[in-house]
Amino acid sequence: MKIKKVLNRTVLYFLVLVIIVVTLAPYLWLVISSFSTKIELMSRQIFLIPHTITFANYKDLMSRDFIPAAMNSIIVTSSVVVISVIIGVLAAYAFSRFRFRGKNPLLNLSLFTQMIPPIALIIPMYIIFKRLDLINQRITLIMIYLSLVLPYLIWIMKSYIDVTPKTLEEAAMIDGCSRLKSFFFVVLPMISTGLAATVIFSFIITWNEFFYAFSLTKTLDAKTLPVLIYDFNSKFGANYVMSATAGVLASLPPVLIALLFQKYIITGLAAGAVKE
Amino acid sequence: MASIQLEHVTKQYPGGVTAVDDFNLSIEDREFIILVGPSGCGKSTVLRMIAGLEEITSGEIFIGDRLVNEVAPKDRDIAMVFQNYALYPHMTVYKNMAFSLKLRKTPKAEIDEKVRAAAKILDIEALLDRKPRALSGGQRQRVALGRAMVRNPSAFLLDEPLSNLDAKLRTSMRAEITKLHQQLGTTFVYVTHDQTEAMTMGDRIAVIKDGVIQQIDTPQNLYDHPANLFVGGFIGSPQMNLIDATVKKVADRFFATFGETDVLIPPQVMGADVAASYEGKSIVIGIRPEFISEGGPHSDCDTTIAGDIDLAESMGAEKFIYFVCEGYPCIAKVPGKSGIQTGDHVSLTIDCSKMHIFDKESGLAISH
Ligand SMILES: Nc1ncnc2c1ncn2[C@@H]1O[C@H](COP(=O)(O)OP(=O)(O)O)[C@@H](O)[C@H]1O
Ligand SMILES: [Mg+2]
Repeated sequence: MKIKKVLNRTVLYFLVLVIIVVTLAPYLWLVISSFSTKIELMSRQIFLIPHTITFANYKDLMSRDFIPAAMNSIIVTSSVVVISVIIGVLAAYAFSRFRFRGKNPLLNLSLFTQMIPPIALIIPMYIIFKRLDLINQRITLIMIYLSLVLPYLIWIMKSYIDVTPKTLEEAAMIDGCSRLKSFFFVVLPMISTGLAATVIFSFIITWNEFFYAFSLTKTLDAKTLPVLIYDFNSKFGANYVMSATAGVLASLPPVLIALLFQKYIITGLAAGAVKE
Repeated sequence: MASIQLEHVTKQYPGGVTAVDDFNLSIEDREFIILVGPSGCGKSTVLRMIAGLEEITSGEIFIGDRLVNEVAPKDRDIAMVFQNYALYPHMTVYKNMAFSLKLRKTPKAEIDEKVRAAAKILDIEALLDRKPRALSGGQRQRVALGRAMVRNPSAFLLDEPLSNLDAKLRTSMRAEITKLHQQLGTTFVYVTHDQTEAMTMGDRIAVIKDGVIQQIDTPQNLYDHPANLFVGGFIGSPQMNLIDATVKKVADRFFATFGETDVLIPPQVMGADVAASYEGKSIVIGIRPEFISEGGPHSDCDTTIAGDIDLAESMGAEKFIYFVCEGYPCIAKVPGKSGIQTGDHVSLTIDCSKMHIFDKESGLAISH
């Protein structure tokens, strides 16, 4: 009995360890690379601590278009997150609470758009944006990313609003709220968990998006970090050190956002609202 | 403090369900009125239309002198207690109760005073800092009442507020809500499917079936003079015994006949001229269980029947006797000390002067 328990534990811990190693090893290597010299990195040896720890790569990076690209990423991502949350939550509310013609077809259509592979869309998109003279602009990326995250956001938020009791809003309306006020005072706090999750989701999708950014941007007017990192490995020859360094920096904002919103993801908030 | 008037109010839900049909109801200021009826009869819909949560298909609703058809819920000056309480889960009890006052920009000190006063009346002062999820059902119920009270609204709307409580708590809350009504001196509109709640709490009761008002009257009058079969069967517990019969004239007296049994129709129940017009026709007689007693006839108004007792159910102070009379399952309510046992064959006596008679076809009462 006891042996079995110990054995179970051992196997479990071993599996967890494997998963951690598999997930973290590449990232660890990225961090190590960013503090290494190019020569040492090319020595074909795997090491944990470089002989010479250098911060030169980070300094170097700043003179290599990192700042403008990061600015593009920040502007595009924050715009997408803010706009998508506002539009998405209001749309989800309408889909959840109101009856209107074409509601279900619209809802399904929004998800259907996500089933078309981006590779099939990129050429028509390129042509359209070219005609509109919108190639190489941040607004173009913002529009495309909105179309990527909104359907998911609407679906997820709708499911959260669906399970928020209608009577809570009605109670608020009798207590003196307009529909909009009851939405802010009652519905929004009830769905904050889902909201935090979708903010993280939108942020990560947008921040890391490469394919559209690569296809539709040319210069630092709109180029985002993933494209810049790619550039380090192609345009200027394979500069692994630079791409690793930029990769480390680019990975920080999603982590920060996740930590920041984590505290809002508290389960069981809805318990006790109404008698089940 | 306000009267409430419903004039020809009809509600048709999208999809075609007519939940409320040509509703006319005049609720007086400070009255405690009860809307009672079986589940799905449209009680909640009526209440929600008064609250403004549901649009009115046709008709007019007045609160005080004001036509409120197009008035938003927040501007109707009413408070509502929901069946599922609908407390804001992310707010403490205090904030739940203070919410409506805060929205009205009431000064902080005044809010505090009102919330604490209401909490004191409802005996929930110790719970003010808790979130709803940390409360029992009965406590949540009190908070819901408190949230309605603080605003001092002109009318209280309560939708089955006790149906989620256990039986004992329900009985004590019943008394407390009645007391609260007297204390507040406000109009109460109270919805329930429970006839006991209706009978014990209301000044007047509106009995509803399929979206139509069957009868509006005081509890005593509903009990004494049900207007139709439905009200007769709905009000009173255990249920009134209803038996199909035919009117028969023997000598100059009228009888309700079913099977081998003849039950006298005394003139004070139905006048000779009315009875004569029903001679040979189908009627339904209604006899409340409390008017069937043990033993032989006690007066010349009584009719004695014999029955095999299927079940004698002792409730302590009284006993419910289940028996079959001419194929109709019947219940009698006798004193608890009665010796009747399951399986006994006994004679029982119907007090015919307390009998109700209904037209079989229309279901309307034709007795006095
Ligand atoms: N939102 C709705 N849409 C369609 N039908 C409804 C809706 N709400 C209630 N109904 C129907 O209206 C009738 C009355 O409902 P309700 O007023 O809730 O009854 P009660 O409160 O007396 O149980 C029922 O037949 C119910 O199915
Ligand atoms: Mg109801």
